[in-house]
Amino acid sequence: MSQKDEQKTERNPSSSDNVGGIRGSLSGRRGRVPIVKPKNFLATFKRLWHYMGKEKNVLAYILLFLLIESFLTLLGPYLIGLSIDSMAASNGFVDFKALEIVVMALILVYVASGILTFLQGWLMAGMSQRIIANIRRVLFNKLQSLPIAFFDIHPHGELMSRLSNDIDNISGTISQSTIQLLSGSIMIVGSLTMMMVLSPFLTAVNLLTACLVILLARVIANKTSTLFKEQQTQLGRLNSHIEETISGIQLVKAFNHEDKVIAAFDDVNMKLCEVGLKAQIWSGFLMPLMNVINNFGVALIAIIGGVLAIKSIITIGVIASFLSYSRQFTRPLNDLANVFNLLQSGIAGAERVFEILDEQEETGDLPNAMVLKNPKGHVVFENVSFGYRPDVSILKNISFLSTEGSSTALVGPTGAGKTTIVNLVTRFYDVTNGRILIDGIDIREYTRDSLRRCFGIVLQDAYLFSGTISENIKYGKPDATDEEVKNAAKMANAHRFISMLPKQYETQLSENGANLSQGQRQLLAITRAILAKPSILILDEATSSIDTRTELHIQDALLKIMQGHTSFIIAHRLNTIRGANNILVIDHGEIVEEGNHDFLIQNEGVYYQMFFDQFKILREYRV
Amino acid sequence: MKIFSHYKKKYGAKFFLAVFFVMCETICDLILPAILSQIIDVGIAGKNMEYVLLKGGLMLFITALGAIAASARNVISSTVSQKFGTELRLDLYKKIQTLSLENIEHFDKASLVTRLTNDVTQIQTLVNGLMRIFIKGPFLCVGSLIMAIQLNAKLASILAVVIPIVGMLIFMNMKMGFPLFIKVQQVLDQLNGVMREYLSGVRVVKAFNRFDYEVEKFNKVNQELQLKSVKAMRIISVFGPGIMLTVNFGIVIVLWFGGKYVHLGEMQAGHIIAFINYMTQILFSLLLISMVFNMFVRAKASTERVNEVFSQVNTMKWDHYPRESTAIKGRVDFQNVYFSYGKIAEEAVLKNVTMTCLPGERIGIIGSTGSGKSSLIQLIPRFYDVTSGSVKVNGEDVKDVNPKWIREKMGIVPQQSILFTGTVLDNIKWGRENATAEEIETAARIAQAHDFIIALPEGYQTKVGQGGVNFSGGQKQRIAIARAIVRKPEILILDDATSAVDVLTEEKIKEALKQYAEKLTCLIVAQRIVSVMDLDRIIVLDQGEIVGVGKHSELMESSEVYREIFYSQIGKEM
Repeated sequence: MSQKDEQKTERNPSSSDNVGGIRGSLSGRRGRVPIVKPKNFLATFKRLWHYMGKEKNVLAYILLFLLIESFLTLLGPYLIGLSIDSMAASNGFVDFKALEIVVMALILVYVASGILTFLQGWLMAGMSQRIIANIRRVLFNKLQSLPIAFFDIHPHGELMSRLSNDIDNISGTISQSTIQLLSGSIMIVGSLTMMMVLSPFLTAVNLLTACLVILLARVIANKTSTLFKEQQTQLGRLNSHIEETISGIQLVKAFNHEDKVIAAFDDVNMKLCEVGLKAQIWSGFLMPLMNVINNFGVALIAIIGGVLAIKSIITIGVIASFLSYSRQFTRPLNDLANVFNLLQSGIAGAERVFEILDEQEETGDLPNAMVLKNPKGHVVFENVSFGYRPDVSILKNISFLSTEGSSTALVGPTGAGKTTIVNLVTRFYDVTNGRILIDGIDIREYTRDSLRRCFGIVLQDAYLFSGTISENIKYGKPDATDEEVKNAAKMANAHRFISMLPKQYETQLSENGANLSQGQRQLLAITRAILAKPSILILDEATSSIDTRTELHIQDALLKIMQGHTSFIIAHRLNTIRGANNILVIDHGEIVEEGNHDFLIQNEGVYYQMFFDQFKILREYRV
Repeated sequence: MKIFSHYKKKYGAKFFLAVFFVMCETICDLILPAILSQIIDVGIAGKNMEYVLLKGGLMLFITALGAIAASARNVISSTVSQKFGTELRLDLYKKIQTLSLENIEHFDKASLVTRLTNDVTQIQTLVNGLMRIFIKGPFLCVGSLIMAIQLNAKLASILAVVIPIVGMLIFMNMKMGFPLFIKVQQVLDQLNGVMREYLSGVRVVKAFNRFDYEVEKFNKVNQELQLKSVKAMRIISVFGPGIMLTVNFGIVIVLWFGGKYVHLGEMQAGHIIAFINYMTQILFSLLLISMVFNMFVRAKASTERVNEVFSQVNTMKWDHYPRESTAIKGRVDFQNVYFSYGKIAEEAVLKNVTMTCLPGERIGIIGSTGSGKSSLIQLIPRFYDVTSGSVKVNGEDVKDVNPKWIREKMGIVPQQSILFTGTVLDNIKWGRENATAEEIETAARIAQAHDFIIALPEGYQTKVGQGGVNFSGGQKQRIAIARAIVRKPEILILDDATSAVDVLTEEKIKEALKQYAEKLTCLIVAQRIVSVMDLDRIIVLDQGEIVGVGKHSELMESSEVYREIFYSQIGKEM
């Protein structure tokens, strides 16, 4: 983007006829943007218009100021022409009276247009930022009501880019592109009119050079757009090579492949250089060549205007004014295409944002939904079937019962549907068929809010937020006292390591608790769940990423809190779940076996097989 | 900027050639208004048609000259900046590849990637900009000033007022605007942080019903961003028109006093037009200079970051590349090894480790997370140097020899099985470039990967997505093992490399390895006790110290830690 900025300003000083006062924005936001065409320009624009809401009045003022200012700007060169004429009319004698009037008028015009520009910028800054903050707020609020499925499908990187880049683009569209497009159009029409008034003949000459400029810009834009695309591809290749070999640098070293990856890098790097060079040279030609054509136009106007002036068809002042107008005519002409592209990509960004706003929300609570109060934790699955997509069923006809205070373990291979069961009971997803009852009532008849409040969930990847340890523990119960926090931590065996930290409970955690070990994070997540005092506890591979000795210590804590709670445990280490009241063996979305450990071992079925596969060597060893 | 002296030598001449052409271009631009004023004052006022045509022709000629200069400058500056950027990037990449892991850990890996991409591009842009506008700005400014003074020195005294005011306004704009925009960027980063956290922790948010809290957090930052952005933008909305107004007032003054001078016969109307022209040129040149300044600030940070990498001195030194000693193959000795990452102040990760792996021995290493298993393994291929004590491979102290020599003898399967983009075949071949198809298949069979690979529709030609997304963890690990085996190493190191492979398959891999190469020394780090319990020898680590060595049965007797691990996984009653 910076390159284009430079080119833009670089072009201006080379103009050799800048007599008409200057007008320009210091904050040019004209990047070389990839042109992304919106699917439905008008509809999206209309919808964006909707978001202007109350700002429409401010916008009206801005447009009014813009209109007046453009008119005044058009007046500038004309007045300067008049003042020149007042000097050159009769050789050597200056018509001071006329000059005085013209100069006064000029001062008025300049001051007025200065004030108007300032007001525009001032109002625009407030308006565009208010609108953007509003859209961002609406979008974030929307995220709250979207189902978990939405976040599972969309990669976070993509969502982030919508939340930041796309909204940035919209902001650019509102504050710059629209205005530039409008003022540019006014300038083009106005300058053309003024030129026609001053001298139709010179106007014809000028239009000729303008056509040349447009033609040239077209040719070069065509050439460079393919080159830039190619450059982007090579850059992508280079980036992924860098990404791969830097993150795998230990492997590169282990296999003595430094020279090999350097050679591969050199290869892609050279290709990038080649295409980058072509792209840069071609695009670099645009400005000097335009300059040439513009200067050529100036020279033509000087020659023809000179001839006309000698023949007294026009005055010198007219030539001076005309040169300014021709500049004001071609400059926005050059920019307009670029501004329009910006506008398009802004609208396309808005489209992507609106796509999220149009996403199906989590189904609302039933009109007479109940609040789940003091839940006992009696859970029943009745012929539950479910698929994330209608054509692929993940769970088939699952039925089981977990009585109050019992522990149920879910085991089975990856992808068998264990986590899906958890997602259903917590209503992250709704069942496709059948129903789930808690305390005898279909969970869809509770308010979602009160339903979720009865769960304490500890996931494999214990997510922590940036903030202090105590803030993180309190996440489920913000009004907890320090004493409660400490007690919960003691229960979870987390108190010991926390009190060893220099700032103890006030220790600041970085994003996702990166400054703690996996085991410590898990302990905090368990503490967090304990503090929330749930009636149903869900441990989804809560200890899988911890080594078994550490797990022993956490297990202690877990056993403590499982007492008196209905609990669901998912684990792939079978040793972890031996003590569960009921073990459900799940495969391909179905319950294939059910019972406690001893029963299942005696049964010599799937569970038996799984359990002893783990210890096959052990058995051999004992023989 | 010391590191850039090398590039200066290489590209200096071309750089100055480009600067020369920029100057030509600028001169042409400066002459044009002067000719125009002559056309008006001499040609038109004197009704001299021939003069108009002559000077008009001259204008066209100079325009063409300027165009040629600009085009030449474009070609040269593009070439220099692109080639320079490419070379800088390659040199930086080479430097990174030759640094030791200890050096590299000074930096975040993601930051190394940005240094190679964004930062280099930023510097490249500056170099390109230097050739285009750095010279042009001041030159245009001085040139216009001279031309203006030459037109009328008295009138030029107006410039002595206008230019400082404009310069001051630009300076104030930057001085006040910069910190504001930096603040906007900071708040924007904060906002992105809040959103990123929300997205990553969305399950937790939903599970605990903390929408309101999250929304409140978001709204606070969002509002802050709005306020800061408005403030920053409003600064510009003051200074922009201010600068324009100052220059325009200058024009008015020029017209008024110019009128007087014309009346006195000291000037002519055409001079006035030219004078105004030069004045506006001066303004734009000032803007150019301020832009160069901006570019410098941006590129300065990048240069520093790139320099930081270049200034790293490889912490590893070595004397020689030993000749192939045929006497010992596949022996590893640790003698009183102490090791800590980075500074000595940090607690030692390994304490007083002494052990020996004999050729052909299969050794298991087990212990809790953080007990130093991986650190121990990483000292053997000399990824890091010991703090004290010594590590010997085949009798050579690794501190004295070129790491390449050591690594040639090893097959390493790291904890995280990283696959590279390319086919499965490419990935296995990565272990040894000239491996035959037969050797590759053998390696894949040993790693128990052959069967699942040929079951894929494209077999060994299956493309691996970035990071190996299209393979399961166990499959990736088995391909990584095949990659290490195809190398025909003397020492094979599996660093918890079978954690995602099921127990039965793991057993088959170990069995196949045993049969394939009896003399192969294997070091197997594992979390699962079943992975190591049938090996020749097991080393038990706890908090960086060896707390037990022996076979399974011996350790069950002698090592408390080993028993604890055993029971935690197998259960007491077995």
